[in-house]
Parts: sequence; structure tokens; C-alpha cells
Amino acid sequence: MPPTHISNAAFKTLRASSRCSTAAAQRCLYHSYERPASPPFPPAESAILSSALSHVPSYGFTSDALKLGARDAGYLDASTNLLPRGVFDLVSYHLVTQRLALRDSVQFPSHSEQGAGKILGVGAKAIAIMAQPTYVPASFAELARLADEIWFLAGDTSVDTSWYTKRASLSAIYSAAEVFMTQDTSKDFVETEQFFDARLEDAIKVGGFLGSLGEWVSYTGHSAVNVLRSKGVRI
Amino acid sequence: MPSRLLVRTHRVLRSAPVFPLRAGLLQQRSASSTSSGPDIYDVVCVGGGPAGLSLLTGLRANAITAGLRVALIEGQDLQKNRLAKDAPLSSFSNRCSSLTPASVKNLEDIGAWSHANTARIQPYQEMQVWDGVTDARISFDWDSARSGLTPRSPSQSTTIAYMIENINTTTTLLSRLSELGGVDIFSATKVASIELGTDTEQLDLSSWPILTLSNGKTLAARLLVGADGANSPVRSFADIPSRGYDYNRHGVVASLTLSGPGRGGVDHKIAYQRFLPSGPIAMLPLPGNMATLVWSTTPERAAVLKSLSQKDFVAMVNAGFRLSYTDLEYLHTMPSGQEEEIEWRLKHTPVNEQAIPMKVAEVQQGTVASFPLKMRHADTYTGERVALVGDAAHTIHPLAGQGLNQGQGDAASLVRTISQAVQTGQDIGSVLALEAYNSERYAENNAMLGVCDKLHRLYSVESGPIVGLRSLGLRAVNAMGPVKGFFMERAAGGS
Repeated sequence: MPPTHISNAAFKTLRASSRCSTAAAQRCLYHSYERPASPPFPPAESAILSSALSHVPSYGFTSDALKLGARDAGYLDASTNLLPRGVFDLVSYHLVTQRLALRDSVQFPSHSEQGAGKILGVGAKAIAIMAQPTYVPASFAELARLADEIWFLAGDTSVDTSWYTKRASLSAIYSAAEVFMTQDTSKDFVETEQFFDARLEDAIKVGGFLGSLGEWVSYTGHSAVNVLRSKGVRI
Repeated sequence: MPSRLLVRTHRVLRSAPVFPLRAGLLQQRSASSTSSGPDIYDVVCVGGGPAGLSLLTGLRANAITAGLRVALIEGQDLQKNRLAKDAPLSSFSNRCSSLTPASVKNLEDIGAWSHANTARIQPYQEMQVWDGVTDARISFDWDSARSGLTPRSPSQSTTIAYMIENINTTTTLLSRLSELGGVDIFSATKVASIELGTDTEQLDLSSWPILTLSNGKTLAARLLVGADGANSPVRSFADIPSRGYDYNRHGVVASLTLSGPGRGGVDHKIAYQRFLPSGPIAMLPLPGNMATLVWSTTPERAAVLKSLSQKDFVAMVNAGFRLSYTDLEYLHTMPSGQEEEIEWRLKHTPVNEQAIPMKVAEVQQGTVASFPLKMRHADTYTGERVALVGDAAHTIHPLAGQGLNQGQGDAASLVRTISQAVQTGQDIGSVLALEAYNSERYAENNAMLGVCDKLHRLYSVESGPIVGLRSLGLRAVNAMGPVKGFFMERAAGGS
């Protein structure tokens, strides 16, 4: 192996180790509309993962797809070691890019729809990988980020407890729909869409009911106090 | 505070003997002291609706309170908004209310009822209420409400309530008020601002509300009464919160002409109310073949109803009492052509015509309107030199027709409270003197608001065990005369 390659590899390894720090930087405690967020994956990993993704339809979320992706991007097979979590990184990359693409597709709706359809049939495998105990926290975090992104793009600016309940209910519905989708054979996932809409409607109904229940409880509590006050009780 | 005021007044009017503040005394002083200062009144009532007018009439008609200096401020022109004496009986205003016997008795006590245009008032003797989902039914009439053991007393009135146009109520009260005289009426005048007064050399008005009117006049009120409706400026001045919620329903009203005088003829009029899951639809009798409609429904459907042609609207009202809720749901999605559709559907729906109102023949032009339904209740009715009556204090769902009656009850109670305060030499604006009013009315109104709210919620359920239970309950109450009598007495304003 020529020295340049070694240094390259070393550089890449260092970069890979520095990923932790970039990841830490990403987890900053504030969110700015002005500053674009730093890319979620360093360039080398991005290159490997994006070309690996093109092999997913034929190879699934497997290490084979990763190796082929590395070759396509001009790296050695061994450079897949840059991705310590292996195929989960591939799944995660797919999820993250889709999440970021969501913003563009909301802001520039003319973009043609892409994504889920292409990896039809391997979705179940992806969920199986995400459900491996080691990756569960990361999967949940990604799900939470997606729910947050969707609510943010939907213009939600709530600052009360509904901030949490909204995100939690959307996450639950989204993951249920995802499981449904893996078994959905209808054209263009019409059934998944119907399933998703029905669950959303349920959630809105329950939310409306809980909201009005809270309103009613607060009113009734106040009126009980007011009646006692009107009768001369000092409360 | 009262004692301080007394001392002050004493200082100002050193020559006059000290006795509890009375209107005549104040009048002398305000006339003699400064011409630029505010005009001082004992009671200033903002709002000339049924509640406000009833209060002022009550104060003027009561010998104890007749000496108070009172003023009325109303944004609209009271003379223009009066019912003409010879108004034709073929057209009725769409704003009608039912007056309970208790409210009528109150109007009699203050001498106003004899001024009413009785030709335009319709007492009704029976009420039919049924569930739109299960058809469980209850009928209210005094005859079926007594227990089998007690014989019917001939002296007992058979009237459940009186349907009256709101304009008739206000005209009646205004006629009585002008007969009594002595009220400074600022008609077509708005309240520009309400602020607390200042403490000057001559007079300490620092706890008194000072009203600046749109015509530039300023009035100082010993007691400021807010009868100024649901968005009461007086309530916001007093900083009294009002709580509640919107029902997300609209009440569609219209004046209708029926195909006849009613199933019971002209002497036995019947009110009908059908509870649909979207809200109750009620048809209440007016003199002759006329009737008034109140249909509570979702804002979207209210908009559809208002947009329909007269023929289609009439057909929809007939369908509202006859067809199933599913049919009605579908009919609301049609942009037009309801008439033919309903005619066809009625052919295939068995209907007991004896139990429902007569068919509507036509709707009076320009009377179809709607208003949002909400429930509000102020935290308290009284503050320092402030009292709230009527809608300013509470807003109720119209399903039991209690809104106007609550206002009348408030007015009568406040008159009693003020009269008691005057009699015992108290400052009528003090929280202490007004306490009795709040304690008498608050719990009672709260109960009525709660009952109507719960009925609305109970009947908005479309399916499930609740529907069966409520029908069972309704049938049970219908079968038990004395229980029914108890409810009817409550609704009639007795206690």
C-alpha cells in the first residue's frame, strides 16, 4: 500500500474519530434559523453511504451494499470500517437524508417524490435492524427528530405541554404506519396513506376530547369555588 | 368606605344634617357645586336590553328605591327600536324568547305586563321533546305532571311559558318606564370610557366609576350596573374574569308560517324540540299560524342552511323534525335541490304526524340568521360599585330558553338588594350591600348553566351505551308524573 494511501486512510480514520466531536457539536442546545445545520455525516462517509444506498434496492440494507457503495465511491472495501455501526449507519443515513429532504420538499413542493418507493421490500429489514437493542436509542432519537421536524415544518409554535404530547403522538402514529407499510402491497402505498390518515384523525379526536375535558374541568373547578365565594366562604 | 364618604359629605354640606346618602341630597349638591364636574347618579345602568330595563323599571316602581337618581345609557336608539302598536300579525321578528311564569310575574309586579302587546304574545301549554337518534320522547304539560293522587286544581295555570319577541319585551318595559318617568335616558349614546374618579377638595370620588359618554357628558355612579351584554365593557372595567367555552355551534333562527295553527288548535299550543347529535332543533309557537325556529347546528351546516333558497330551507326545517340524522347529514352536503330530495325521502320514512309540528309552509323573508353559541359565567356578579346582570354575567346555551329569564331574575334580585340597602341606610355601591345579590343569584344561575351544558353534551353523543341510557332516563321521567312536575317547576322559575 503506497504511503499516500496509508496517510489517506489515517486521515480518514482521524476524521472518523472526529465524527464524535462533530456529532457533539450538532447536539448543540440551540436552534438557529439563520445558520444552516452542519451536514450530519462527514464527506467520506456521505460518499460511501450515498452510493451504497443505490445498491439497497437490489441488496437490501446489508454489508454487501455498503461494500459496493465504498467501491463505487472509490474507496477500499475495508473503508466500510469507517462506519462502526455498519448497516445501521446505512439505515440511519437513509432516514436522516430523507428527513432533511422533507424540508426541501415542503418548501419547494415541485420536487418529484422519491424515497420510500425505491427501497420497497427491504423496509422490513431496515426496521429489524433499527429494533436491535444496541440501536434502539439511536432509532428513537431519529424518530423524535423526524416528529420534531414535521411539527416544525407544519408551523407548530406551541410552548406548553402539548409540545411533548404532539411529538409523542406523531411518533407513535408514524412508527405504526411504518410497520403497516412494510406489509402494504397496494399501489403507491394507498393503504398506508389511508391507515396514516385514520390514525391521525383518531389522535385529533382524542386530543380534542382531552382538550375540551381539560377546559371543562377547569371551568367546573372555578365555578365551584365561585359558588362557595358567593355564599360567603372565604377562599 | 361608607363612613369616610359620610364624613366627607358632612364636611361638604356642613349646613345639612347628616343622614344616609339619598338621591335628593346628592342632586342638590351636584346641581349647586361644580358645573364642570361629573353628574352624580345613584345608579347608572349601561345597556337598555330586557335585563337593564327591567332593573330600572323595578327601581322606579319600588317605593323605597324610587327616590334614587338613575340613568340609562344605551348605544342604540331606543325610540327607533320600538315595536309599532299596529305591527301586523303576519310578520314576526326572528329574535324571540320564552318568558317563564316567574318572569311574567315579575313583570306584573313592576307594573309592566299590562303594557305588553298581548296580541303578539303566545302562551304555550305543552312541550314535546324527543331524542333524534332513538325517538325516546317526553311530553311536558301540567296535567300529566301531577301525581295520580292529587286532583287537578282548577286555579293552576296550564301555561308552561310565553313566547314573546324581544322587541316586545323591551317596548313593554320602555312604556312602563316612561309612565313612571324619572330616568335620565342617554339613548343612541355610547360609553367612551370608564375610569375611577379622583379625590378633590370638595368630593372624594376615588372609588366611584366615572363614565365618559360619546356626547361628552361625564357621569359618576354610586352603583354602576353592567347590563351591556356578553362582551360587557363594565365587566372589563371591574376586572371580573368570565370563564367558559364556545360550543362550536351556531343557532339558526327564522320566523316561519305553518300550514295551520297547530295540532292542539289556537287554545292549546305546543312547543317542539328534537335533540339531534349536532344540536337541538326547536319550533316554538307564535300567534296564529306563525312559529319561530331555533336550530343549533355546526357552523358549517348553519352556513349551508343560510345559503339555501326559501323553498329548500322550508324543506330542510320539515326534514329536521322528520328524517333520520343520517338523512339530514347527507342533505346538508347538497348545494341545492333539497326540496325534491326530501319529498322523496319522506315517502319512505314512516312518521307519526300527530307527534311532530305541522309542516312549515313558508319562511318569512330575511329572517334566517345565526349566532354562535357559547357558555360564559363571570367569576362574581359584584365588585366595588359594580353589579352585573343578564348576559354580562352569564351566557347560556339556548336549549332550555332560559337566557332572558335569568336576566329578569337577576334584575328582580338586584332591585331587592338595593331596596334592602336603602332601607337600612347602607351605601348601595358597597360590596357588603351587594353581597346578597351575588349570593342569591350565583348558585342558581350556575346550576341552570350546568344543566343546559350537560344536556347539550348528553345529546351530542351519536351512538354507544349513553344513547340507550339517556333514552331510558327520558322515558322513566316521562312516566313519573311528580318527577316531571319537579323539573317543570324548576324550568318555570319556581323553587
